[in-house]
Amino acid sequence: METESMDCESSTRSISNDNGTYHFSSTKNHAAAAVVTNIVGPTTTAAATSVYELLECPVCTFSMYPPIHQVKFCSFDSSSLAVVPADDTTQFYYLCHNGHTLCSTCKVRVHNRCPTCRQELGDIRCLALEKVAESLELPCKYYNLGCPEIFPYYSKLKHESLCNFRPYSCPYAGSECGVVGDIPFLVSHLRDDHKVDMHAGSTFNHRYVKSNPREVENATWMLTVFQCFGQYFCLHFEAFQLGMGPVYMAFLRFMGDEEEARSYSYSLEVGGSGRKLTWEGAPRSIRDSHRKVRDSNDGLIIQRNMALFFSGGDRKELKLRVTGKIWKEQHSPDSGLCIPDLSS
Amino acid sequence: MEPRINHLQIESQVHELLDYPVCTNQITSTIYQCSNDYTGEVNNDKEKPYNCPYSGSKCTVTGDIRWLLQHLRNDHHVEMHDGRSFSHRYVHHNPKHLHHATWMLTLLDCYGRQFCLYFEAFHLKKTPMYIAYMQFMGDEEEATSFSYILEISGNGRKMTWQGVPRSIRDSHKTVRDSQDGLIITRKLAMFFSADNTNSKELKLKISGRIWREH
Repeated sequence: METESMDCESSTRSISNDNGTYHFSSTKNHAAAAVVTNIVGPTTTAAATSVYELLECPVCTFSMYPPIHQVKFCSFDSSSLAVVPADDTTQFYYLCHNGHTLCSTCKVRVHNRCPTCRQELGDIRCLALEKVAESLELPCKYYNLGCPEIFPYYSKLKHESLCNFRPYSCPYAGSECGVVGDIPFLVSHLRDDHKVDMHAGSTFNHRYVKSNPREVENATWMLTVFQCFGQYFCLHFEAFQLGMGPVYMAFLRFMGDEEEARSYSYSLEVGGSGRKLTWEGAPRSIRDSHRKVRDSNDGLIIQRNMALFFSGGDRKELKLRVTGKIWKEQHSPDSGLCIPDLSS
Repeated sequence: MEPRINHLQIESQVHELLDYPVCTNQITSTIYQCSNDYTGEVNNDKEKPYNCPYSGSKCTVTGDIRWLLQHLRNDHHVEMHDGRSFSHRYVHHNPKHLHHATWMLTLLDCYGRQFCLYFEAFHLKKTPMYIAYMQFMGDEEEATSFSYILEISGNGRKMTWQGVPRSIRDSHKTVRDSQDGLIITRKLAMFFSADNTNSKELKLKISGRIWREH
């Protein structure tokens, strides 16, 4: 089977936006053209080949080009010669009697009638097409954000889920905000849309006050953004139920990727009545969801009774003073790196 | 179980049973006997006897500090460390098998006094936890003249607890249930234990020191 090399043709495609808004503000280190905010579904240049067009399922639209959204498309898993769509369920390519092709997801959707010629679809797989696709290499969908890499189909998806150039998700805790973008954009979004407090500086001294701490609703939380060292950090403070009862947790996340997060350290301290609890660690990246960091207990956790004890007074009101600071400290490549598998 | 001997007219064969010489002055002594058949004598004049701080077993021995230290060393085989600072590693190859209220006790000797360092695995409403704390072998008043720090570190993270040692007048269970120490979930303990090998072993490095505040 010959492999076809890719001919890059410039053609413009407009991408439909079906998953919510996606914005960029001017990027600081990405080579590609910046896109102004508030434009939905920016247009972009795309590389296309005639072979690639052959692989396009006539029913489900798919786009291999950035940006933005996970539009469903079929790809190929060479180990099983199966067509693998965007959401990782196994699929195949089928032929109708006239030779028109269709992916298996769509085969079900069209009730076994070829959408091109209305003939009945059998169970004939198009192995040749599957093999051709397997040899096809395409750029990462984030290429216009700077990713220079090219992948065969079956590894492209995996790369894209981890690509360092992919946009970040809004780090706001609480209901899942679907906004994505680069860091400067997300900082403005947090400030303007979520009304999050912004602080400049690397030290903090907060008092968390709650007059009736008995009413700990699950996941009551607060977020503050700190700007220091030319970077942004999210300080989360939460009250929630942990198997053992109500707890308060404070932790820091870095607005950037994991590798850069490891060049920083932070400490948090609570205390009172001759006792003091201190936490020191590396901030997690906002690539890890807020829930994931919270559930890994990777931060300062205090049981409510101890928090009330630290609050002093009659211990009926929560008046917890949390102090902390952020500094630049390179962790060794091994430390701060191991996020244990907590699934078992 | 606790024979009260008012007079000290001891027959010779009874005398042999006793490890300690019985004092022959007129002051009444009370002799205590624990279920392990160890006997000891307490001089009631000085201060109220302390309960043996060795938790877990049903040891009901009481006595003064000096006597308890010997008892802990000889009968419970507890280790004694000299010095104000220490560093221990608690290792368990399968921490899920650590039962509720598994614990370890180490003794520390400094400032002419002794301290008990406890490390325990327990369940708090079904959540597996670990707690480490110190208790002072002496009364409450003197206990408050000390402070201690416990530190757990690993995997680029560190948690530090600074506290005041509770007197052993408080049972170890009281202190544990009040969570007056360095307390972490097992999840977090696994975080500290994590390394590149992806093993599920518990490897907690706990270090600390004691100092006198006034």
